[in-house]
Amino acid sequence: MKFWLRIVVIFYMMTNVSIANEVNVFSSRHYDSDIELYKKFTEKTGIKVNVISGKDAALQKRITEEGKDSKADLYVTSDAGRLSLFDKKGMFQNSISSVIKQKVPENLRSENWVAISKRARIFFYSKDRVKQQELKNLRYEDLAKPEWKNRIVVRQSNNIYNLSWVASLISNNGIKETKKWTKGLVNNFARSPKGNDRAQILAVAAGEADLAIANTYYYALMLSGQKGKDQQEAAKKVLPFFPNSNDRGTHINVSGVGILKNSPNPKNAITLIEFLLTKEAQTHIVNNTFEYPIIEGVEPNQLIQDMGNFKQDLNTNVNQYGLYLGEALKIMLQSGWK
Amino acid sequence: MLSRFNIWYLSSFFISLIVVVPILMIFGSFFETTTEYSSILKETFLLDYIFNSLILLLGVLILTSVIGIGCAYLISFYDFPGATFFKWALILSFAVPAYIYSYSLTAFFENFGTAYSLLKGLFGEGNYNNYIPKFDGMIGAIISISFSIFGYVYVLTRASFHYQSQNLIDLGKNLGFSKQKTFLKIILPAARPSIVTGLSLVAMETLSDFGSVSFFGISTLTTGIYNAWITFDDLTLANRLSFYLLIFIFFLFYLENVSRQKAQYHTPSKGGFKTKTKIKLKGYKSIIAFSICALVFCISFIFPVTQMSYWTYLFPKYLIELNLLELLFNTLLLVFLSCFVLILLSFISNYGNRITKSKLLQTLTTFSISGYAMPGVILAVAYISFISFINESLLVNFNIKSFFIGSIFGLVIVYFVRFYSLANNGIKSGYLKINYSIDESAYLLGYSKIKTFKNIHLPFLRNSVFLVIILLSIEIVKELPITLIMRPFNFDTFATTAYTFASQDLLEGAAAPAIILILISSIFILLTSKYILKEQ
Repeated sequence: MKFWLRIVVIFYMMTNVSIANEVNVFSSRHYDSDIELYKKFTEKTGIKVNVISGKDAALQKRITEEGKDSKADLYVTSDAGRLSLFDKKGMFQNSISSVIKQKVPENLRSENWVAISKRARIFFYSKDRVKQQELKNLRYEDLAKPEWKNRIVVRQSNNIYNLSWVASLISNNGIKETKKWTKGLVNNFARSPKGNDRAQILAVAAGEADLAIANTYYYALMLSGQKGKDQQEAAKKVLPFFPNSNDRGTHINVSGVGILKNSPNPKNAITLIEFLLTKEAQTHIVNNTFEYPIIEGVEPNQLIQDMGNFKQDLNTNVNQYGLYLGEALKIMLQSGWK
Repeated sequence: MLSRFNIWYLSSFFISLIVVVPILMIFGSFFETTTEYSSILKETFLLDYIFNSLILLLGVLILTSVIGIGCAYLISFYDFPGATFFKWALILSFAVPAYIYSYSLTAFFENFGTAYSLLKGLFGEGNYNNYIPKFDGMIGAIISISFSIFGYVYVLTRASFHYQSQNLIDLGKNLGFSKQKTFLKIILPAARPSIVTGLSLVAMETLSDFGSVSFFGISTLTTGIYNAWITFDDLTLANRLSFYLLIFIFFLFYLENVSRQKAQYHTPSKGGFKTKTKIKLKGYKSIIAFSICALVFCISFIFPVTQMSYWTYLFPKYLIELNLLELLFNTLLLVFLSCFVLILLSFISNYGNRITKSKLLQTLTTFSISGYAMPGVILAVAYISFISFINESLLVNFNIKSFFIGSIFGLVIVYFVRFYSLANNGIKSGYLKINYSIDESAYLLGYSKIKTFKNIHLPFLRNSVFLVIILLSIEIVKELPITLIMRPFNFDTFATTAYTFASQDLLEGAAAPAIILILISSIFILLTSKYILKEQ
């Protein structure tokens, strides 16, 4: 019997033991650099940061099912659409401080969550096969035109970056127009969608297509040499282009964070968000993940700066993406976008 | 006598119930009313999901049976250079999880990937990307899954071939059969139950695979359920997809059970077993046999290991920054606890089954196999839902959730549900080899049930237990989706660390934890290879 008692005690000790001064983060941003950032926060404030990272939807499900017993204070994810959908389910509390509100532009936050970094979804084109004339005033909307037949690569329709991107188009052009557009775009695909954003850029470099749609940081990651010499060389064969610069601006998306409804340590959670929006933290983020900063006075990583300045779409509130995610997936699938 | 009967019966019943409940939960929860989120998806893509799952299943079954049976045949019946080496080397493929195989496959063959770098290094600049075949999508998934789990077919078929008596083969010779005819008419049919068991394990692993299927972006029933249920809260669609998955699984049950019933010939206790004489291959035939085994070994094991080692060599900082000791401790802790619980409870359940001979128990135990065919991520979420359901049904306001969710304890429970059938069937197959008459003789000699178990069964079962422990350990070291969602704060294993890097699009960083994961699994395999491949 003693033996069994011991086993039970061991198991019990392995269950969560709470420490008073802590903040619990559920994150589907899997950057190990985020962990380093949390360590800096602990050194500064003495607040321990506990992290569980995992697949987005599964983490949300766990938070939802844990309900009021959930230990999660903060939920971090790298898509505005996901954040706003989760917000709509009433999972966040409304306790964003005025310090935070001052630092983050209105179109990059909602009442209950804020962006901590941003990225643009842009074009990467072949230096040799795309003429400068073709690029003049190029908009997302133009990709459906017949002159791009068999020249475009993009990843699958169920990818959240694509969903939020198409959602932003719906919010600007309406469902009907966007549906016409997705049909045209799918017609122009050079191959059946596969691989991640980097694979699209590589496909252009390898000559499989002329233009890829991908997030900015993938390109910088390749240029940084972290993917090896050959991919660095490959990245140099393509150039970035920021579409819609002459109208509403280029589509941007964010990584963001919200304080959960049942957060046991909301004060610490706010302290952590405030920290993430300091110059120190923002500099750490942009230099490790190649995203754009949220606050004024921090420059992006040099590789990102070299891509040039661009006009951001400031009119479309990123919080809107969540409204049209379902509709976006529907029309993408109906247009034959795998 | 009666009280003992009840204890065994009840405990076995209870154990099977733990496994079955979360699985029932999955299907039960889907009968709730739900929002019609994606009615159009349902009409358009339901068939796609089923079709893709079928293609994947068929592809993997064909590839694994060709490789598995082929290698088992060569190694069991022929003597050629390297045969003794390949006999155990081929099982090393178990050490490579399908998702890590997928990483390697992509990394090697993608545009400007490792293959490109190699060609460039050898022949200078050139546009090699167009000539390098691309193994992605469905083909990529079929290859990744097949080469990481063909070992099931290989091990079980080889064991069955091994125990085939020379008498059978001589019989063929006497009847004037050619080698080919002997193989097709005598050897293969006699090994059929083992082959079917191996293939049904392969089929269940394939259906439950989430890592490589989602990595390659294929819409199977598994990813469909995940998206419908977990991403979109569309219980109706999830319900329908689960229903189809259930049909698949029941079919596999049936196959597995039928094959097992046929396999119930106990090893003859009297003589008559004549050791096989292996045919010595000479000349080009021995080269062919060697090449086939070498090829399978290289593709299944050397290839992913080399790709991962190459990266670790190229980017050593990921290895240096790895918190080795902590990851090792976490991984081994999970292995130890889970094996302990699984083996102990499987013993109780098996022994209960054996002495009560209850049909109900047997059915329940058989049903528990579905945990193995259920995708880990879905099982984990079902478990979380179940716990939260129970907690809310409790009258007392007592928080049991933090005890069961996000704790090592909870993690071990879900592992238990997932791997119970593996443990249980492993021990069951050991039990099947012990003739019932042995038990009866023991009782006649006045042995109690416990004493019979301890003095008679255990020694007989030792090899089975070793085999089960090794299989479990490898599975747990490799396990990803359950660990990811169920783990406590700040808890990482080699598998979750590899995943973290992979999802940052830094497969280079995933290489270091992956190579260590493969190393640990390989050590487990080598330690017990003599039990897996037990001669005589």
